[in-house]
Amino acid sequence: MKKFNVTVNGKVYEVDVEEVGGAPVVSAPRAAAPAAAPAAAPKAAPAPAPKAAAPVAAGSGTVTAPMSGTVTKHKVKVGDSVKRGDVVVLLEAMKMENDIVAPCDGTIKDILVKEGTAVQPGDVIAVIG
Amino acid sequence: MDKRIEKLTERRNKVLGGGGAKRIEKQHASGKMTARERICALLDENSFVELDMFVENRGNDFDAVKPDAPGEGVVTGYGTIDNRLVYVFAQDFTVIGGSLGEMHAKKICKVQDLALKMGAPVIGMNDSGGARIQEGVDALYGYGEIFYRNTISSGVVPQISVILGPCAGGAVYSPALTDFIFMADKTSNMFITGPAVIKTVTGEEVTAETLGGAMTHNSVSGVAHFVYQNEEETIAGVRKLVSYLPLNNMETAPYIPTEDDVNRVCEKLDTLVPENPNKPYDMKEVINEVVDDGDFFEVQPYYATNMITGFARIGGNSVGILANQPKSKAGCLDIDASDKAARFVSICDSYNIPLLTFMDVPGFLPGVNQEYGGIIRHGAKMLYAYSEATVPKITVVVRKAYGGAYIAMCSKHLGADQVFAWPMAEIAVMGPDGAANVVFKKDIDSSANPAKARTEKIAEYKEKFANPYKAASRGYVDDVIAPSATRQRVASALEMLKSKRDAIPAKKHGNFPV
Repeated sequence: MKKFNVTVNGKVYEVDVEEVGGAPVVSAPRAAAPAAAPAAAPKAAPAPAPKAAAPVAAGSGTVTAPMSGTVTKHKVKVGDSVKRGDVVVLLEAMKMENDIVAPCDGTIKDILVKEGTAVQPGDVIAVIG
Repeated sequence: MDKRIEKLTERRNKVLGGGGAKRIEKQHASGKMTARERICALLDENSFVELDMFVENRGNDFDAVKPDAPGEGVVTGYGTIDNRLVYVFAQDFTVIGGSLGEMHAKKICKVQDLALKMGAPVIGMNDSGGARIQEGVDALYGYGEIFYRNTISSGVVPQISVILGPCAGGAVYSPALTDFIFMADKTSNMFITGPAVIKTVTGEEVTAETLGGAMTHNSVSGVAHFVYQNEEETIAGVRKLVSYLPLNNMETAPYIPTEDDVNRVCEKLDTLVPENPNKPYDMKEVINEVVDDGDFFEVQPYYATNMITGFARIGGNSVGILANQPKSKAGCLDIDASDKAARFVSICDSYNIPLLTFMDVPGFLPGVNQEYGGIIRHGAKMLYAYSEATVPKITVVVRKAYGGAYIAMCSKHLGADQVFAWPMAEIAVMGPDGAANVVFKKDIDSSANPAKARTEKIAEYKEKFANPYKAASRGYVDDVIAPSATRQRVASALEMLKSKRDAIPAKKHGNFPV
C-alpha cells in the first residue's frame, strides 16, 4: 500500500494506492470538476431546437468571465434582483462589447471587479445569492 | 389450435413482456419508457418489424443456471420514420439491467450489418448498466464488434445515439463514434468512470449528474448534441433530425415542399447589423429570416455558443448552417468553436448536405490558455474540414472577416463556390487599429503629434480597407448584396450548384488533424 497526498484546489486528500502487480498507475489530479451545468433544464419543444430554459429557482451562482477582456460597465448594483439572462456587466473583448449575463435568478450580493479592470477567463465578476 | 402454434404465441408473449410487470413499473416510476415503448414512439405506427426475438445467451462461468433474459436485454429490428427505412435497437433496462453480453451484442451487430448493406440509418437507444461482467471477455468482444461496425459505417449511413439511461465505461464509445448523440435531461448520463472511482483515484467528489448528465455533455464537454426535457421530446427530436438527412451517402436529403417563397425579401436584415462594429446582435435572427419558414434546427445549442451550427431548408432542400455568434464571446473562434464547426462540416459533407456559412468573426481568440490547449491544431480542423468538403459551399460575409479566421470560415480560398458580402462587411487582414499601427508605423512615429496621426491613419485604413470591395475587386467575393436579398441570392446559388461535381485526389484517407 502506498500513501499519497493529493492537493486539489488547496485541499489535501490522502490517497492509498495498492499495487496489485505491474507498475502502479496514479492519475494526476485533474483541475477542477467541470462547472456545474446550468441548473435549468432546457425546455425543449419536439419541433425546433430546445427552447429557452424552464423556470429556475432563485439560487446562488457566480458570474464569471468567459474570456479575457476589460469590464467596461456595471449594468446592475449590489442588492439588485436579477433574472437569469439579465445583463450584469459589459465586457469589452475582441473589440466587442459582450453582454455578461446572470446564470440564475437571484440578488446581486457582490460585484468584485471595478469598471475598467481587466479580467481573465474564469475570473469571478459578481456573486448572485 | 395446433399446440405448436400455441407454443409460439407463448414464447413470443414472454419476450414481449420484457423483465416483467414489476420491473416495468419501476422503469415507468423513474420517468423512463420501456425499450418497446421507445421504439413505438420513434417509428411510424405499426411499422416496426422485430428481429432476433428468440436469441438467448449461452450462460456463463458463474451462474449454475443460464440467466433468464427475454430478448437478451435488447430489442432490435427495423421500421420507418416518415415512410423512410431505418434500423433500430433499444436496450431493455428491465432485462438484467440491459447489460451487454455476447448475444446482446450480436443482435445489435446484425442490425448494423443490415443497415450498411441496405443503406439506411441506425438509431440506437442506450439504457444499460454496462458490460455483463459474468460473461467476461465475451462482453468485451461484444463492445469491440459494435465499435468496429460504428467506424466502418461512419460516413456511409447516418448513425444516431439516444441516451435514455446510464451509459458508462466502454459503452460510451459506441455513441461517441456515431454522428449525433441525444440525451434526455435528468435520466441519462455518460462517463468513462463513475463518481465512486473518481473519488478513490483523485479525491474529487462529484455527482453523476454533474459529472456526466445531459446538460454537462451538452454545454461543458460537447460530447452530446441535443438535450430535451423528457423521453417523448427527445425521441421527437430524433425524428426531426432524420428529416434533414439522406438515408445514406449516395442519396440526398428529402425535399420538403414549402409555401415560403424563395424570392421573399428579408427587409428586417437591412437594419439588423448595428452601425458601431463594437456592438453585438443576434446572428440567429439572420438565420431565421433566411431559411424556410423560420425553422432552424440547432445542433449543440448550448456548447461553444460563439459558433452556431444546425440544419434548415432553403427552397425545400436541406442545408447545414454554420455562423459566428457576435453575441457570445464576440463570435471569435476558440478551441471549442473550431472543434464544433469542423465536426459539423464533416457530417454535412459526408451526407451531401450543402454548407451555408454566415461570417462575422473578429479573429481567433488570443490567450495562453488557448495556445496551451492547442488552438493551432483545433483551428486546423476547421480549415481541413471546409477544404475537404466537396458539397456546395456558400458563404455570406455579414460583417467582420479578419485574418486567419476569415480564411477559416469557408472563404473563397478554401473552395467556397459562392461568396456574398453585405455592404457592411469588413474583409481585411486585421482590424483597422492594429493594421494602421503596422502599416503606417513610420508615418505615425515621425509625426509631430503621433496620437493624432494614429487616429487619422486608422480612419484612413478603415475607409480604404474595412469594406467588402477590396476583396470583391480580386474576385474573392462574388457579389456584394443587400442584406434583404440574402434568401433570394442564396436560394438561387443553391439551385445553380445542384449539379456540382468535385473530387479530391484518390487516397486511402486524408490525415485529419484530430
